[in-house]
Amino acid sequence: MSLQRPKGPVLRRVCLRLRCVSTAVAVLAALGAGMSSLAQPEYFLIGHEAPDFALHAVVGSNVRLSEHRGDVVVLSFWSSRCSPCRTQLAALDRSLATYRSAGLQVYGINVDDDQTRAIEFAHGGQAVTFALLLDPQKTVSRHYQVDNLPMTVLIDRNGIVRYVLRDYSAKSEDLYLRQLRTLLNE
Amino acid sequence: MNHFVRRLSFGAAGEGPTGSLVARLAVVVLGLALGASLAMAQNTAPRGTNATKTAAPAAAPANAAPPASTPAASPTTAPPPASDSAAAASADTGAPAETPAPDTRGLDQEVQSLKKDVVDLNRDLFVLEEELLFPANTQVAVFLSMDVGDFFALDSVQLKIDQKEVINYLYTPREVEALLRGGVHRLYLGNLKVGKHELVAFFSGKGPNERDYKRGANLTFEKGIGAKYLELKINDRQRKQQPEFEIKDWE
Repeated sequence: MSLQRPKGPVLRRVCLRLRCVSTAVAVLAALGAGMSSLAQPEYFLIGHEAPDFALHAVVGSNVRLSEHRGDVVVLSFWSSRCSPCRTQLAALDRSLATYRSAGLQVYGINVDDDQTRAIEFAHGGQAVTFALLLDPQKTVSRHYQVDNLPMTVLIDRNGIVRYVLRDYSAKSEDLYLRQLRTLLNE
Repeated sequence: MNHFVRRLSFGAAGEGPTGSLVARLAVVVLGLALGASLAMAQNTAPRGTNATKTAAPAAAPANAAPPASTPAASPTTAPPPASDSAAAASADTGAPAETPAPDTRGLDQEVQSLKKDVVDLNRDLFVLEEELLFPANTQVAVFLSMDVGDFFALDSVQLKIDQKEVINYLYTPREVEALLRGGVHRLYLGNLKVGKHELVAFFSGKGPNERDYKRGANLTFEKGIGAKYLELKINDRQRKQQPEFEIKDWE
């Protein structure tokens, strides 16, 4: 068997195949890019001042966001029906225990219609050490355009929204911790 | 090595394509090695200078000399060196103190005056905005003040004007503390036309014995030409051991 340079119709066929493959690769790449942009749309508040709010806490006193200017604030929008939310609240509680002295504030904002479950959770065995806030009118959720649960918003010391996480997994927890350390070091 | 030189000389002599390829490769490798050694030499040189530079400020506090940026260290008012040892130490540490520090006092004053101008401008703009949005002939402002607060821990105030909710304000412990220290909070600022209006305020919080407590107060007032100021007052009534809520109309 000898290797010869293809000529004539063979060359044309090879070129055609190559062209088909390159087109398919380009289409797949474009689809992939489109899917990735669909999966993580740009959050409209990134780089903007975090909308101020005052909410009732399940346990303890009312909380106003603007009073925490100078601290890194993490807002976690959660629901009692969402099991990843509970896991994430526990993870946030661990991070708060580590970084509280560095100026970290964590708040969980409950978006349930029926808030008795949130109150039960706050008083239950899985209770967290940070304040769980109630948003019965969903005004704060609307201002922050919560479209997925759990959703975590990281606000820097100047009150600017810097990062947002729209899910919870081991990978996203690593990312969260990296982002949190960045904000705390500023 | 001899073998390598031989191959290189073969390549240079042009004995076949493999020989020339090896020669080119060898030249490239030699070039890379030279470049890397030069880069290393350049990297090591500034490190040494940086070390001397960083050593200078570290040694400065030990000499107890004032920093160059402070007015005391300016060339016009700077005192002579305290001792020869201090001068020698500064000479050892790269001697940045020998060069006269530029006089930044004038620049600082300019910056301060600029900042003051910006603050003044911001205040004027704020006043102008308020005058435009809430003209004096339609302006209504509602303030809240608190006295003592032994029988009532304020949580929120809901305000209705002419049966329409205009504000529902939650108070945080810091705000309540400020009110108890004598602060007055402007709860609402809006516009109302001339005529008779009704104001209803609902106060929520913790009453005596930590019980949930909600009370209301209302006032019918006449809005004339000119701004209208109303004050919601929370007082303790010692005789009844209860809080008291009243609305005062400031003429």
